[in-house]
Amino acid sequence: MTQFLLQRILQAGLVMLIISMFCFSIQGTLGDPTRELAAMSMSDEERASLRESLGLNDPLPVQYGRFVKRALQGDLGTSYFFKEPTLDVILKKLPATLELSFAASLIIIFVSIPLGVFCAIQPRHWFSRFTMAVSVVGISIPVFLTALALIFIFSITLGWMPSFGRGEIVQVWGYWSTNFASWDGIVHIIMPSIALSSIMLPLFIRLVRAEMLEVLSSEYVKFARAKGLPAMPVYLKHALKNTMLPVITVGGVQIGIMVAYTILTESVFQWPGMGFMFLEAVNRSDIPLITAYIMFVGFLFVVVNTLVDLLYGVINPMVDLVGRRQ
Amino acid sequence: MPLLSIKNLSIEFPGRYETDYAVEGVSFDLEPGEILGLVGESGAGKSTIGNGIVQLLSPPGRVSKGDIYLNDTKISTFTDKEILKVRGSRVGFIFQDPMTSLNPLFTVENQLVETITTNLGAAPKEASRIAVDLLDQVGIPDPEVRIKQFPHQFSGGMRQRVVIAIALAGEPELLIADEPTTALDVSVQDQILSLIRKLCHERKVGCLLVTHDMGVISSVTDRVAVMYMGRLVEIGTTKQVLTQPQHDYTKSLISAVPRANIKIDRFPLVEYIETTEKGLKHIDVSNHWLGEGLRHAHSEALLEINDLNLSFITQDALLAKNRKYLQATRDVSLVIKAGESFGLVGESGSGKSTIARMVAGLQQPDSGSIRFDGVELVNNPDRAAVQQARRQMQMVFQNPYSSLNGRMKVNDIIAEPMRFHKLAPPQDVLQIVGDLLDHVGLGRQMGRRYPHEFSGGQRQRISIARALASRPRLLICDEPTSALDVSVQAQILNLLKDLQDELGLTMLFISHDLPVIRQMCDRVAIMRHGRILETAETETFFEHPQNEYSIELLDLMPRFDRIYENEAVTQPKQ
Amino acid sequence: MKNRFLLTTCLVMSSLLAFTTAQAKELKLAYDADPVTLDIHEQLSGGVLQLAHMSFDPLIRWTKELAFEPRLATSYERLNPTTVRFKLRKGVKFHSGNTMTATDFKWTFNRLKESPDFKGIFANFTELNIIDDHTIDLVTSGPYPLVLHTATYIFPLDSEFYSGTDANGNDKGAIVKNGASFASTNLSGTGPFKVTSREQGVKVVFDRFEDYWDKSSPGNVSRIVFTPIKDEQTRVAALLSGGVDFIAPVSPNDFGQIRSSSNAELITMPGTRIITFQLNQERRSEFRDQRVRMAMVHAVNNEAIVQKIMKGFATTAAQFSPEGYLGYNPALKPRYDLKLAKQLMKDAGYEDGFSITMMAPNNRYVNDDKIAQAVAAMLSKINIKVDLQTMPKAQYWPAFDDRAADVMMIGWHSDTEDSANFYEFLAMTPDQSTGMGVYNSGNYSSDYVDTMTVKANAETDSKKRAKMLQDIEAKIFQDAGFIPLHWQNLAWAARKGVNVEPIVNALNFPYLGDLVID
Repeated sequence: MTQFLLQRILQAGLVMLIISMFCFSIQGTLGDPTRELAAMSMSDEERASLRESLGLNDPLPVQYGRFVKRALQGDLGTSYFFKEPTLDVILKKLPATLELSFAASLIIIFVSIPLGVFCAIQPRHWFSRFTMAVSVVGISIPVFLTALALIFIFSITLGWMPSFGRGEIVQVWGYWSTNFASWDGIVHIIMPSIALSSIMLPLFIRLVRAEMLEVLSSEYVKFARAKGLPAMPVYLKHALKNTMLPVITVGGVQIGIMVAYTILTESVFQWPGMGFMFLEAVNRSDIPLITAYIMFVGFLFVVVNTLVDLLYGVINPMVDLVGRRQ
Repeated sequence: MPLLSIKNLSIEFPGRYETDYAVEGVSFDLEPGEILGLVGESGAGKSTIGNGIVQLLSPPGRVSKGDIYLNDTKISTFTDKEILKVRGSRVGFIFQDPMTSLNPLFTVENQLVETITTNLGAAPKEASRIAVDLLDQVGIPDPEVRIKQFPHQFSGGMRQRVVIAIALAGEPELLIADEPTTALDVSVQDQILSLIRKLCHERKVGCLLVTHDMGVISSVTDRVAVMYMGRLVEIGTTKQVLTQPQHDYTKSLISAVPRANIKIDRFPLVEYIETTEKGLKHIDVSNHWLGEGLRHAHSEALLEINDLNLSFITQDALLAKNRKYLQATRDVSLVIKAGESFGLVGESGSGKSTIARMVAGLQQPDSGSIRFDGVELVNNPDRAAVQQARRQMQMVFQNPYSSLNGRMKVNDIIAEPMRFHKLAPPQDVLQIVGDLLDHVGLGRQMGRRYPHEFSGGQRQRISIARALASRPRLLICDEPTSALDVSVQAQILNLLKDLQDELGLTMLFISHDLPVIRQMCDRVAIMRHGRILETAETETFFEHPQNEYSIELLDLMPRFDRIYENEAVTQPKQ
Repeated sequence: MKNRFLLTTCLVMSSLLAFTTAQAKELKLAYDADPVTLDIHEQLSGGVLQLAHMSFDPLIRWTKELAFEPRLATSYERLNPTTVRFKLRKGVKFHSGNTMTATDFKWTFNRLKESPDFKGIFANFTELNIIDDHTIDLVTSGPYPLVLHTATYIFPLDSEFYSGTDANGNDKGAIVKNGASFASTNLSGTGPFKVTSREQGVKVVFDRFEDYWDKSSPGNVSRIVFTPIKDEQTRVAALLSGGVDFIAPVSPNDFGQIRSSSNAELITMPGTRIITFQLNQERRSEFRDQRVRMAMVHAVNNEAIVQKIMKGFATTAAQFSPEGYLGYNPALKPRYDLKLAKQLMKDAGYEDGFSITMMAPNNRYVNDDKIAQAVAAMLSKINIKVDLQTMPKAQYWPAFDDRAADVMMIGWHSDTEDSANFYEFLAMTPDQSTGMGVYNSGNYSSDYVDTMTVKANAETDSKKRAKMLQDIEAKIFQDAGFIPLHWQNLAWAARKGVNVEPIVNALNFPYLGDLVID
């Protein structure tokens, strides 16, 4: 276990090192940040001295060396726009994104599993055929279209739902800002999370269905039936748990990816999360923030993978965490 | 009063265009405490009967005609709800593969207890106690400890014991065992069969034993029913059927079973079945591309293996001292002479396949040397020489389903090595591929099809044709027929023998099946735990085994042939 | 006397009225971005100036008709060609409770001269002299016609509030561009709204300043919740669904949706930002031939671009200065004429044309990339083959600085609302030492323009000056110094009942202090 975690920490470090190198190497193409920090009419000398004060005039290796040295002390630079340490900015935006992803995951889990299981148990039922047909269409609808349709129907036409923002958020544990502590907050998170889940939902329904079908045709399900167990316990106990194994590996990583894919949803709903922050940072050439965000996402991927592996290990007794199946 | 009575049973699988009749008009009875063997080749409908009894047919299969009585109760018309009371509590089931019939995610206890609570209505605590008791009865040591474990922590044999315990948990009157030992090693097979026999006799439980293996039939059943193409062709006491088969199919089938007691030149074919070889041209090897460059001098060493070692890490760790290894092969040395068939025998995990993989270059040994025709294959910097040598050895794998690329046409699969190694002029390649297909008994017109359109035996012929396309000198056959039916096995083994004679092929033949080894090999090595225990001329080995383990193995060999020994039987037709 | 009494009564009445109706009138405001800083001297940008008009007050401000309106100055007079005297309003309080005096102006002026963004605008000003607590003199280095224009940028800061050091020992008044500072996160002005809370990029809440000096303002908004909504469709949806009351900017694509809505209305007016293409004479010898430039100007149908691409949401331009500016020359008309363009190319010896490169941003101006594509297509009609590259503004400006293409797009808004600003940045010969022509990527150069612009900037007689500026426009027009396209219009949209119309202006700083909500 210790070794497993140690490996993952090393892996995270390596991922972040590579990402930071990549970010620095493409820095030149990210644009000139002084354009966003100053008026068009500012003189060239002023602009040059601003560049100097930002340390942008040094050769790239020098800048990178400085960056790594500071990063090792936990300082990932200061955002040009927010004028705060990039890590603070990201951590401030993190709850919004994580809560959005969490709500979307809940939707995915509570919709895709029952639907997928149903479609597997009753493959010929009209509702199964309908679900599969809809999921084929759904997989090809871009998320911003779903989001705009939701806004048009439920905000503009019906006036039931707020169309943007997080609404009333409550600070908990001193640091975390949550949508789930007030009715207004919950109402605000509904449409964005539906929009976000819509990308993955068809995929998950099909995944659950396919895995369930495979498990249903397995010997141990047949054996469980032969033991005299009624159909439902066989489906829900023997088949479902086994179905969840591949769903967790594929799905867990997908949900992890979703955290990084919230950009579109966040920008349509003006959701003040990391994805939107990143988009803005790119527009503003906020290089330290861009770099820190991408590194953070890399770190997040390793964390998600680790969590998925841990969860997989909890469910599957055959897995040895060091990665070798017994 | 028979325990189980099947009257005029027909089972059909209605399809979109035509209905497949899996079982037609089958009738038989089974007495309490009796073991009835249901034997036949794949597709004969024997498993379908077992599943049909408790309505576990996979859709759209259904009983279309006939009745099934269990202790005079007609269960064939039971509703879904009623049949639940039959499954588990009146009819217990044992499936072929203990690796897959237990749910890997639940403990043995969990799976036993749910069976007991469902069928006996016992409280969970009581059920746990009964479960421990059952494990004890099926011969699992330390049942209190082992019951808490997951299936993967049991060996194959132990797992099948667990499966039997579960099957018995509902205290059934009838046990249906569907190929209960097919996936197990010989020594374990013997134990399981003895256990089933013992439990049936003690508990007066009737057993329907479904199998394709004549050896199993001969060693455990009281009576046997032979099925062919969905029909019951013959039924009688085991001795009667095996020694004096009445039906032509039975006769033919029995003669095709590889004999362990005597070596014969060719396998008798199951002539009752039409073979695919009719009317195909065979090429004259002497003036064909395939025969070019043949005539290597015999009886000199073609493959020499010295002190081959390989270990796998079973538990990884940062510190070397914490790592755990499995020694797959230890100091293995052997010599295969040109033109001979060398058999490698052992139970699963003995390391025999690992050797094949190392020879073929699919796995790097930790140490030791492999020389092919004088060329060192291990860590030889002369890559060209190694590749040249490797081309001259080809593998035929056990599973013909997975070893062929499903997206390529057969022609392309076979032509691939020729094109890759530029062994023949491009314009001749298709002609040669056609000849090869003819030669292995498939027919050149089959080349335009895809692998999934073929049966298991046909696919194995494709594998052989592909191996021949490299004009190999050494053919490594890793369990080439263990996934095939007896009749098909006979055809494939005959084909390999013929090819060897024509082309002077050297063969490394790996099998766990001792009778097959006896028929195929000139010399044999026996392996256990990664070591070679004994190497001998095949006949010497079978008649006068030296090693204790060899003696044990030969003793455990299914007793089919012992019936012959006891009775004066006519020699099977050649 | 009687009149005065009446006036006072009215004032008191109206302020009472304002007070009573001010109860709980909240304005939910959505712009595309929130102010990047609370320090109004840190960055010269629209967002920051909007903040300045909400939380501060200028000496004088522009009216809707582009005239001057006294705010913190009660009156002003020119004492001599280099000095203008301002009388200051008495009894004005800062949000901190401090009273505004001439000292605050002096302190603010000095800070503006330090600000990298603003020092250029104040380059001609030498000092601000305190005459008494409520009188100041603005002194310029020479005669300068734009003293009042520039005075619209003087929003006094609370000098006492911004003096001293903060918790980290840094000067509270320091202007810091590359990090946090006291002034960028704290604010004390004289304006109608004080900042109650601020979460950058998410929300700023303003509450009405109870001691605001302008009791005559009809404004009845007691609280503003300012939310940045970046996506234009989301912004419109927020308005239409009642999530916000007032949005800007509005894209022409959304006009129809807002106009057809029963509970929102659209307000548009001509703007002052000119969109142009510059022809680089240094990179391309062909562009040094006036006939070629003239041909290109004639080949571009900018009227069609306004109609088809901008959907009428722009004013076709033939010069830099929009109508209302001193330099606006009514004689100069758009001159699309393809036939003439082809003839000119023939005369110049380029009948068969040539190939050029063109660059434009794709997220800076309204429909910028579509405009560039249209212009490229139009130029192909006179056999000029255009290799067009569009890119996000973040990448575009470095490319612009490198003069990376033969033809480059640039839009310009005059910070001083005066024509000369266009010439200084876009038309004068680039000169490192004077800082003129910084954005003249075409290297258009005319002695006449160079000398006349300098002269005009020393001419305080506005009539004479207008003539000079209009002559400059005419000269550039004749030289075809650049390709003029259009002035972007401005658009706002508001919920019905939010009376936005009276408070918006061409400068795009709605005077929210005066906003009345029914």
